[in-house]
Amino acid sequence: MNAIEIKGLSKSFRGLFAVNNLNMTVPVGSIYGFIGENGSGKSTTEKLICGHLVPNSGEIKLFGKDYTDAGVRVRVGALIENAGCFPSSSVYQNLMMQAINLELENREEEIDRVLKIVRMEDSKFIKFKSCSLGMKQRIGIAMALLGDPALLILDEPINGLDTDGMRIMREILVDITKTYGCTVLISSHILGELEKIATHYGIIRQGKMIMELSAKEMENRARVFTSLKTANMQGALKALKEKYANARQEEEYIRVYDVDNTEEIVEYLIKKGFIVSEIKKNKIGLEEYYIEIMSQKEKK
Amino acid sequence: MTKELKFESPTFKQRIKGMLGVDFYRLFHTPLFCIFLAIAAIIPAMVSGFTMMPDQNGNKIEPLYSNVWQIIAATEPLYVIREIADYANMNMVFIFGGIMVSIFIGHDYKSGYVKQLFTTHAKKEDYMISKTLVCAFAMVCMCLTYFIGGTIGGLIAGYETSVNVGSLVCAVLGKMIMSLGWAALYTFLNVIFRKYFGISIASSFFFGTGILIIGAAAILGNSPILNIFLYGSSVFACLSSNLWTIINCLVVSIAWTAIYIIVGSHILNKCDVY
Repeated sequence: MNAIEIKGLSKSFRGLFAVNNLNMTVPVGSIYGFIGENGSGKSTTEKLICGHLVPNSGEIKLFGKDYTDAGVRVRVGALIENAGCFPSSSVYQNLMMQAINLELENREEEIDRVLKIVRMEDSKFIKFKSCSLGMKQRIGIAMALLGDPALLILDEPINGLDTDGMRIMREILVDITKTYGCTVLISSHILGELEKIATHYGIIRQGKMIMELSAKEMENRARVFTSLKTANMQGALKALKEKYANARQEEEYIRVYDVDNTEEIVEYLIKKGFIVSEIKKNKIGLEEYYIEIMSQKEKK
Repeated sequence: MTKELKFESPTFKQRIKGMLGVDFYRLFHTPLFCIFLAIAAIIPAMVSGFTMMPDQNGNKIEPLYSNVWQIIAATEPLYVIREIADYANMNMVFIFGGIMVSIFIGHDYKSGYVKQLFTTHAKKEDYMISKTLVCAFAMVCMCLTYFIGGTIGGLIAGYETSVNVGSLVCAVLGKMIMSLGWAALYTFLNVIFRKYFGISIASSFFFGTGILIIGAAAILGNSPILNIFLYGSSVFACLSSNLWTIINCLVVSIAWTAIYIIVGSHILNKCDVY
């Protein structure tokens, strides 16, 4: 069973399609990284899943049931755009409202539990408007975590956070998925961070899903390359191109793609009279892979 | 570890209980409700107090009311306004109430909390029913504080106190019953203008003044047919009320509440909510 299954979903605003015939499959238990440029339709898709927007056409199924099913929706937690809290109420009061909304039995304990997960036990009685951006995002996650959600939808939860805030948020997300085992749909621009936690990816462009793949598939598709530096970069590049078809200069390094054996490259360059000053073996990361896919699509 | 995947649909009672719980929690934990209760109590006391003040030449002005209970309800059901006393009674609660409902619902949207509600509540009628009931409760409480404020103000102003107690009770009950219909109307207006806070307040104020019915009365005359409208029935609950008045208010209030909830839910189901 899939946690989310979307077929032919479309949504337009004043004739412009924000989501256009989108298909999407999020397996149960996965951390699904939803990637796309600004305005590509990520937030619109998430709002459609949460029932905030009405689709023009298409089908959304959550855990095999229609997304309007009250039983499924009560187990969806979401953080979309902002935490959705009353600024003049305290963190505790905001969480209490959500706990009442979800008809939770042990409200106080539940609030303490989620505050502990997001590391905000000591900020319970602070007014929401007094919280920092990072704290507000964490409160939003705490709200989404109340009531044992089976599906968490997080829209850019790490945007605007400083390095430390990002680290805390990453740890929280890993903790949530490992300990509580819910399916997470997370959209983010910060692909380096997403790469550390996602098990599946979906790449959206102009409202259309252009690729869905698992982290394993991504790993298999990711190209290996060796990057190196020599005193005579132009000469070395010319020599390398004679043997390796995928050698090119990128910024201050020469990159030799799809070659895993660094010793072989060093030996070859020495034979040709070049001294290698720096060499390392790399793999294309999510960010570079994404840029590559996007540029391929751009060319088409 | 993967979550246990059981999806039990909550019953209507469970859903409404949760939504009502949130709305009542908000009502009692924010100053808005207390402020409007105070306004409802102070306004009639002030209106009565003004009538005791002398004019610019130091002469005593003509009292606005002749009886304490006219501050609560008009003597007769007059849809056409002859003088301000016919208008300035407990019906004013429905004007303040409209503003209170607009702020209450408007903050749902402004804060973004409505996203949490609509994410976990797939059934949009839950929202309409809950807001209507909670806002009706708030307006009933405002009617009570208005009654207290009006009575104290009237007694201090030295108005006459004679009244048919049964009619007074029927009038107050009738107006309290009408709170439900008014709350449904304001919830409906706020759902329609959910993206425009200012228009929500302005429209609530506009309808709350009953200007449309007053205008219709100017054309139709003091016709009882106007009782089919919220403002008409609110005026009908006056100091000559009887059991029939309560039945009339009940039918009109419930009918309009049902209409507004059904249409409002339909709009929420068919349109983007946030």
